[in-house]
Amino acid sequence: MEIINNEHLTTNFEDKLTIGKYSFKSRLIVGTGKYPDFATMQKAIELSGSEIITVAIRRIDFEQKENMLSFIDQDKYTLLPNTAGCFTAEDAVSTIRLSRELGIFKTDMVKLEVIGDPKTLYPDNEELLKAAKILVNEGFTVMPYIIDDPIVAKKLEDIGCPVVMPLASPIGSGLGIRNPYNLKIIKETVSVPVIVDAGVGTASDAAKTMELGVDGILMNTAIAGATDPLNMALAMSYAVKAGRLAFLSGRIPMKLYASASTQMEGIVF
Amino acid sequence: MTIYVNDKEINLNENLTIAQLIESLKLNIKSTAAAVNKEIVPKAQYSEFILKDKDRLDLVTIAPGG
Repeated sequence: MEIINNEHLTTNFEDKLTIGKYSFKSRLIVGTGKYPDFATMQKAIELSGSEIITVAIRRIDFEQKENMLSFIDQDKYTLLPNTAGCFTAEDAVSTIRLSRELGIFKTDMVKLEVIGDPKTLYPDNEELLKAAKILVNEGFTVMPYIIDDPIVAKKLEDIGCPVVMPLASPIGSGLGIRNPYNLKIIKETVSVPVIVDAGVGTASDAAKTMELGVDGILMNTAIAGATDPLNMALAMSYAVKAGRLAFLSGRIPMKLYASASTQMEGIVF
Repeated sequence: MTIYVNDKEINLNENLTIAQLIESLKLNIKSTAAAVNKEIVPKAQYSEFILKDKDRLDLVTIAPGG
């Protein structure tokens, strides 16, 4: 399939996503996992229009011939280290501290996830709060992945997280938004931005999520796992922008009966 | 002496620093972080930190993930 150019898609107003001391034009954050190769990942990132790219921290694979870093232009993108796969606060904190020693990250933003169960990949709130507290105190801009729980979202805001990232449905499930009402409650509960992290399956999920009034979306599998990841990356960039614009534009109320678009005055027959 | 790098056993000469080991493995020191026996070693110490027999060294970098 040919890739469509999205150059014409612009907004005529300033609508920035602010996370702590950082500001971004794009409201879509993308992961780097599950791509068939780094070249596809690179192109998908470009087409998504994202400015923040999340990466894991892992032992070096001595068999790996290509250097992932050479596929990411750090002048163009903000690399966001994550704690994917950590099951305790201690492991998550150590992973972030280790990531700092890499010396390649240009911001102090970190995506914190502390998993409680391998089957659902739901977070362990107790361990998450513990890790968030430590990392906030160490000066990191902590972006926590949470379940769609307004209480834990508020606690994280109070700790000093400048954003909260509730799931729409389990990581990689593609189920879309399972509880839009909770996402709305979270948005009303906290004053920091809300970025929906995980669960989006296709472009309509992304648009609907943004129409709820949340501030952004983080996704990986929905793009990387698509049959055509490049065009899906582009579709997601449109969907996030469309959903955001629709939210800001104020949708019409839903009514049970019709409301004619054409006036009756002047009708001939 | 024997050390374990990312769980792989390797035999080395004595008095080798982390920086020297990274270089011998042809890795880019700029995108490598190290922990010895699960203790994180600050990058500024790589050229002074001498590895000992049976040390377990973890060398990490960025990897695909979401």
